[in-house]
Amino acid sequence: MGVNLVANYGEAVAMILFVIGFMNLLLQKNLIKKIIGLNIMDSAVYLFLAEKGYISSRTVPIVVNGIQDVEAYINPIPSGLVLTGIVVSVSVSALMLSLTIRLYRRYHTLDLDEISMRLRKEGL
Amino acid sequence: MDFIQNFPFFSIILSMFSGIISSILPGKAAKRLNTAVIFVAGLLSLILLIYLIGTGSSYTYMMGHFPAPWGNEIRAGILEAGMALFFCIIMLLSLFGGRKKLNEEVEEGKHNLYYILMDLMLSSLLALIYTNDLFTAYVFVEINTIAACGLIMIRQNGRTIEAAVRYMIMSLLGSGMLLMGICMLYDLTGHLLMSNISEQVALLAASGEYRIPLLVTIALMSVGLAIKSALFPFHAWLPDAYGYSTVSSAAILSSLVSKGYIFLLIKIIYRVIGFEIFDNSRIIDVLFVFGLMGMIFGSLSAIKENDIRRMIAYSSVAQIGYIYMGIGMGTAAGMAASVFHILSHAATKSLLFIAAIGLTDVSGGSRKFVDLTGAAYRNKWAGVAFTVGSLSMVGVPLFSGFISKLLFAQAAVQNNGKMLPALIVLGISTILNAIYFMKTVIRIYTPANGTGSCVTFRSMKLYAVTLVCFIVLNIILGVSSQPVVDLIEQGLAMFS
Amino acid sequence: MQYIILSILFPIVAGLYLLIRKESENRKTLLLCTGTFLIISAVLVIMALCLAGGGMFTLFNLTDKLPIIFKIDEVSVLFSVMTIIIFLCAGFFSFEYMKHEEKEKRYYGFYLIVLGVLIALCFAGNLITFYLFFEMLTLSSMPLVLHNGSREAIMAGLKYLFYSLCGAYMALFGLYFVERYGNTLTFSAGGVISEQAASAHGGILLLVAFLMLLGFGVKAGMFPMHAWLPAAHPVAPAPASAVLSAVIVKAGVLAIIRVVYYIFGSSFLKGTWVQTTWMILILLTIFMGSMLAYREPVMKKRLAYSTVSQLSYILFGLAVMDAGSVTGGLLHVLCHGFIKAALFLCAGAIIYMTGKTRVEEFRGIGKEMPLLLWCYTIVSLGLIGIPPTGGFVSKWYLAQGALSSGIPVFDWLGPVILLVSALLTAGYLLPVTIKGFFPGADYDYNSLRKKEPSALMTIPVLILTILSVAIGLFPGAVVQYLSQMIEKII
Repeated sequence: MGVNLVANYGEAVAMILFVIGFMNLLLQKNLIKKIIGLNIMDSAVYLFLAEKGYISSRTVPIVVNGIQDVEAYINPIPSGLVLTGIVVSVSVSALMLSLTIRLYRRYHTLDLDEISMRLRKEGL
Repeated sequence: MDFIQNFPFFSIILSMFSGIISSILPGKAAKRLNTAVIFVAGLLSLILLIYLIGTGSSYTYMMGHFPAPWGNEIRAGILEAGMALFFCIIMLLSLFGGRKKLNEEVEEGKHNLYYILMDLMLSSLLALIYTNDLFTAYVFVEINTIAACGLIMIRQNGRTIEAAVRYMIMSLLGSGMLLMGICMLYDLTGHLLMSNISEQVALLAASGEYRIPLLVTIALMSVGLAIKSALFPFHAWLPDAYGYSTVSSAAILSSLVSKGYIFLLIKIIYRVIGFEIFDNSRIIDVLFVFGLMGMIFGSLSAIKENDIRRMIAYSSVAQIGYIYMGIGMGTAAGMAASVFHILSHAATKSLLFIAAIGLTDVSGGSRKFVDLTGAAYRNKWAGVAFTVGSLSMVGVPLFSGFISKLLFAQAAVQNNGKMLPALIVLGISTILNAIYFMKTVIRIYTPANGTGSCVTFRSMKLYAVTLVCFIVLNIILGVSSQPVVDLIEQGLAMFS
Repeated sequence: MQYIILSILFPIVAGLYLLIRKESENRKTLLLCTGTFLIISAVLVIMALCLAGGGMFTLFNLTDKLPIIFKIDEVSVLFSVMTIIIFLCAGFFSFEYMKHEEKEKRYYGFYLIVLGVLIALCFAGNLITFYLFFEMLTLSSMPLVLHNGSREAIMAGLKYLFYSLCGAYMALFGLYFVERYGNTLTFSAGGVISEQAASAHGGILLLVAFLMLLGFGVKAGMFPMHAWLPAAHPVAPAPASAVLSAVIVKAGVLAIIRVVYYIFGSSFLKGTWVQTTWMILILLTIFMGSMLAYREPVMKKRLAYSTVSQLSYILFGLAVMDAGSVTGGLLHVLCHGFIKAALFLCAGAIIYMTGKTRVEEFRGIGKEMPLLLWCYTIVSLGLIGIPPTGGFVSKWYLAQGALSSGIPVFDWLGPVILLVSALLTAGYLLPVTIKGFFPGADYDYNSLRKKEPSALMTIPVLILTILSVAIGLFPGAVVQYLSQMIEKII
């Protein structure tokens, strides 16, 4: 198994980054750090996809010099998937950040547990 | 190719474009456009359903001129058309029921934003139902998440924003896992279209290579979707989100949003991985156990609640547990029972939320049980509607809840290993449901002294009509359920 | 066929109509309406019994395999006749009694709905129809328990609800298994379990039968699920208590008759551990119920414990599964219904006229209400089992059936416990008579006043008393009718 890991070190790093991002999103108290964790998690997926798309000794999937042979280019689909994913990630991050700003303006803290406690005291 | 076969595509595009157009329309016009779009989408689904019952088989529809496996596809069968029709009906009725509260709680200038989010929600639900491509499903899952977050926080107070943040965090955890699962599956099989993936997965399972990666992929996708649909123990965001948002949002969130993800999970089980392979992996047992635990813990938490809307929200946790128990049984009968329960729960839970808001309004806006004493005498329609909803949840015959429980029990009796825990937990949860629902019904019918205003029919015509429609829907599902169950079974047979 | 549907739907619709219409200024119109509805319902039931014939009638299909069926057979005739007689008597009694309670309209509305649901239960033709109306019965009789809205009443109502729902779920559990392993869910004399199913799945079917007995036994007040009865029956208004104790609990008995003789069949259950355990529980209940009644000072609660005990007499007759004992049990269904209704109505009349609820306060009541107390005495003698009242005939058949049944211990233990319980019954019913007519030397005779209640209250009590004695004097017709039915099921 060690040989496989070393050969696929890109994917292994992607997995480690994914777990780091996941744990941050889940366990951090500070909202900004959670959002950073979210972005790390998504970037890890893009790294994974990019690794998977790459075929050694081939080039970017843009037709140049009229060479239309499939054998000359890497797999173009993961790149498309990554682009879509980036768009999704950007929208979600924007939404989360605006929510954070709202909460900060109201409660002047970025700690989610602190906010919950204050809400319980407010008794809404 | 018949013209009718274009209808799924039309309904998705129509709702998306009306969402875009609503951004420049004022509030009232956006509201009318929204109502029209939901109505049209429902009508198209109805015609499609009738057409599909006539032809008796499902069809795939190419998006653009690229054939499979390079292009994108929509697939429509009886189950999909039926679900789309039902979702449109529930959405329409929920919006009508919560209209007055929406006008009160949201500022004038922001009304069109609400309807934009509704249109996006409708389009993403329809797309999740009809799509045949895995990555498209992911994109629309994200659109659904964003629209749902907007629905929660349209009513601006501290509670809803915090609920929205918690919802987003849990949802994004699920989405991340789902995305990773999809990418790994693409890596293993090389396709994104569901039918092509399942052929490859069958080959892989037969040859036995990549057994562990396949298992990990299935686990990631199932757990990701389970987190998003609030299966125990990932339900912590649910009571706040359903409890404090405006009432039409709460009704739509509880009835439709979680169910969209569950429907996607069923689709993945049937069409991507294949039923036998999913059954062989032990993931299905994990879903079963979590479903059982959700049934019990959701009801226990509901008993402790002092706020009527949070109590109904915890009841949702228990009901989602029922659905996962049905999926976890691993038989076709269990799956049919789960799908029926999706329909029955959507009808009942929206009814309960909308009735509850009527009760709290005549009790000075308070949701605590102490203040709700005697509320049914002040608002008769809401009282009767809440009673009907509670009886359906408890499982009294003549209402849809009884048929769901009957189907679950019949499915359980057929499966030997999981029969006993399923039946025992069904019994315990019925009793627990009875405890908190009947206690509330007795309380709202206990006469109280003095406080609170009375409402007459004249002041709330739309509200009363909505409640009557919901009650009729519930009783139809309860009394003449056999045609619906037959359609579901037919639809599931042609689903894969 | 239509008469069956009419006789069920008419009271329910009438009750709903009463619930929805506005409060009328004039109390007399309300009473007139209710009285008319009651009489029309009774007439419809009698017409249904005479004209409908023995065929099955499917109302609609709940699902493909679960139709809602109605059928009239001998058991239905027995129970429905008893139901309408008691409902009419208690209904007219309540016209006078409810003067001192509030929210009459709600009471009469639910009263009529309960009547409709009970008739439906009597006429139910298969297990799913029965279960449907059984649940409705719990839900529609709960407002009668909760009527006066006090905290005690609400707690009692909730207790009633939970016990009933638990029992109903246990019975539903049984329904799934019967559907799977039995031939059909329709009630058929002699049972629906085929030979091969009995041998292949005998163990689990026995367990299921026991669960169904426990589940329906909740409604029939069998130990250990009787705790709701002494809480719920006293706290309801007196005519509602009469109906609860005399008729609604008989729904549980009807359920057990159907389950034991028409679903599982006595040949399947005879001699099994189910029968033995069931009989132990029953005998325990008989003894315990009488004992607790003997020691209870509040009159209505004493009568409630008495119901617990007497119902188990009926269940004993059913459990022995011998022709004589089943006759005794079914006769006791009729007799106990009339007697207990009369007893509760008497207690209600005493409360209405004097406000006294405890037995020790009833001294001298015979001088104030002689007619009422004579009726009370006669029906008490019936409950104890002294000839020529109806109670004697039923107990005779019970004891005789037990002795000739041939079951090892219970054929003598049963009659012994019946005897002990009869002594205890005398002990808890007769002191009222004795103290009432002979209050003793130190009683203040000057404070006596003639407080005979009005005709509307005394006539129903008289009718019930006469009926209970009539069964004792002329049991032949009833016994012959029952024996035709019993031949088919033993």
